Amino acid sequence: MNSEQEDLHEVALKGHLSGKIRGSQAFSYVDIDLEPGESLTTETDAMSSMDADVDLTAAFNGGFFSGLARKFFGGESLFISRFTNNTDQSRRVTFVQPNPGEIRCKTLNDETLYLQPGAYLASSDGVKLGLSWAGFISFISREGLFRLKVSGTGDVFYGAYGALLEKEVDGEYIVDTSHLVAYEPGVSLKLQLAGGLFSSFFGGEGLVTRVEGQGKIVVQSRSISGLAGWLNPKF
Amino acid sequence: MTTETCDIVLSGKLVNGADKDQVQQKLGTLFKTTEAKIAELFTRAPVAIKKSVDVSTAQKYQRAIEKAGAECVLKTQQPPVAKEQQEPSLSLVPMPEQQAEKVEPTGVQKPKKPGYDFEITGQPDYSFLTVQIPANETLKVEASAMATMDTNIEMKTKLKGGFGRFLTGESLFINDFTAANGPGEIGIAPGAPGDLLHQYLDGNTIYLQNSAYVASTADVTVESKWQGMVKGFFSGESLFLIRCSGKGDLWFNTYGAIIEIDVEDDYVVDTGNIVAFTEGLEYTIRKVGGYKSLFFSGEGLVCRFSGKGKVWIQTRSAAAFVSWAHWFRPVKRK
Repeated sequence: MNSEQEDLHEVALKGHLSGKIRGSQAFSYVDIDLEPGESLTTETDAMSSMDADVDLTAAFNGGFFSGLARKFFGGESLFISRFTNNTDQSRRVTFVQPNPGEIRCKTLNDETLYLQPGAYLASSDGVKLGLSWAGFISFISREGLFRLKVSGTGDVFYGAYGALLEKEVDGEYIVDTSHLVAYEPGVSLKLQLAGGLFSSFFGGEGLVTRVEGQGKIVVQSRSISGLAGWLNPKF
Repeated sequence: MTTETCDIVLSGKLVNGADKDQVQQKLGTLFKTTEAKIAELFTRAPVAIKKSVDVSTAQKYQRAIEKAGAECVLKTQQPPVAKEQQEPSLSLVPMPEQQAEKVEPTGVQKPKKPGYDFEITGQPDYSFLTVQIPANETLKVEASAMATMDTNIEMKTKLKGGFGRFLTGESLFINDFTAANGPGEIGIAPGAPGDLLHQYLDGNTIYLQNSAYVASTADVTVESKWQGMVKGFFSGESLFLIRCSGKGDLWFNTYGAIIEIDVEDDYVVDTGNIVAFTEGLEYTIRKVGGYKSLFFSGEGLVCRFSGKGKVWIQTRSAAAFVSWAHWFRPVKRK
């Protein structure tokens, strides 16, 4: 019975790496089986357990200065961890995200995906991490001044607080600030008020992000500000 | 021979919030058969799974099946004596006259009753509600719960309910979302981690604990209700309940998982675990044991329901979470 229930919560990876995303949406974790010679890059402190003979090296996140930039502007760590399997058999690495919530994997095939700061967890070789200017609009909407651009060919793992929901946008769509997790390059962001002036400031919605264009967006079903708003009056 | 008999018909629909795979699995265990067999039954739905059983047995089956998450209808027949002249084809499996109503069972939760089209995803941990608002109609949504929406939806904040709203603390504002110039879609994310439940009100009334309200359609009246000094203060939660009445859809959320309880006699719920209950239930706030257990057992005060109705409880309480997390919060230094 237990093993059956676990099956319901497993998502087998179909991309470059082999492994599974396990746990429920509430507390997802990822098991990666590294083949000999394969390696995996994660943000620091993401690894929760691994086989003893997997080699770990810490490196600056793309060099000292860009690492610093990513730390301060991209919500990512200054260092990254690189796990390499130098043995001749398959070895397992398990990694997690700091917040409760769902983890997803996206396999890039010479494609680009934009991630909100803090959403990046790990990637396989062949995925390039870059920081790009997201504009002041993104900053005002509390999405950060910069966005993480992941591109190349390989698997990228991202996560957020809450369940992740995919939505195909064709035209325009409105997403509340702090609910957007990832979006494809065909989509651009604009900022607007949720309603009229009075409603926007007294209605608790404030500013919202207007998503325009064509492509997929990923939305998180909970936000930390929503959690705080529910919890704080109770303390 | 005069006892009334009936057929137990599996309608093929699922009870709100049920997941198709889990339902089939549960039914499989219930009838000691394979999941595949059940799945096959679902594809032929509506289908009579048992014929000509007496009413009390049938009701027992119905309860068990609905508990597993599948909708089940009892088709009453004439007493067997009067049945002689009837066509035998009436009790064929599956019943031919119902084929027209055949509904594709889906894994997604859909309303089975009148009301707006909606979908609840991310259950049970981080439930997310997507409602399709018909053109020019209005949906009331708890303030700051809107997560996504179509661009043609207009938001308005109204100070309905006057001063009473301020006292409920949580739901100071309810925002109106109107789909202007055509239908629109809105995604709603409540603040608390947990489940979401839909109820269609048809003139009946449901009381909600004051942070449980998520959304409702325009014809549902939402008002706060004073619980009385003693009930309010000692329940430790809030002074107000939210009274929802009228006709239309109502969605409410829980912290933790949700459990529905049919109260027949008396039932005791910890005050922090109450989410909602139907009108007609009497409730009193009281201590569980003597004064010693009031202060030392940690149970404190409970709510005792009596009468007949439904109570929804949540498997976690916010107050318990707060007291667990409180010691880990940073201390403000001046």
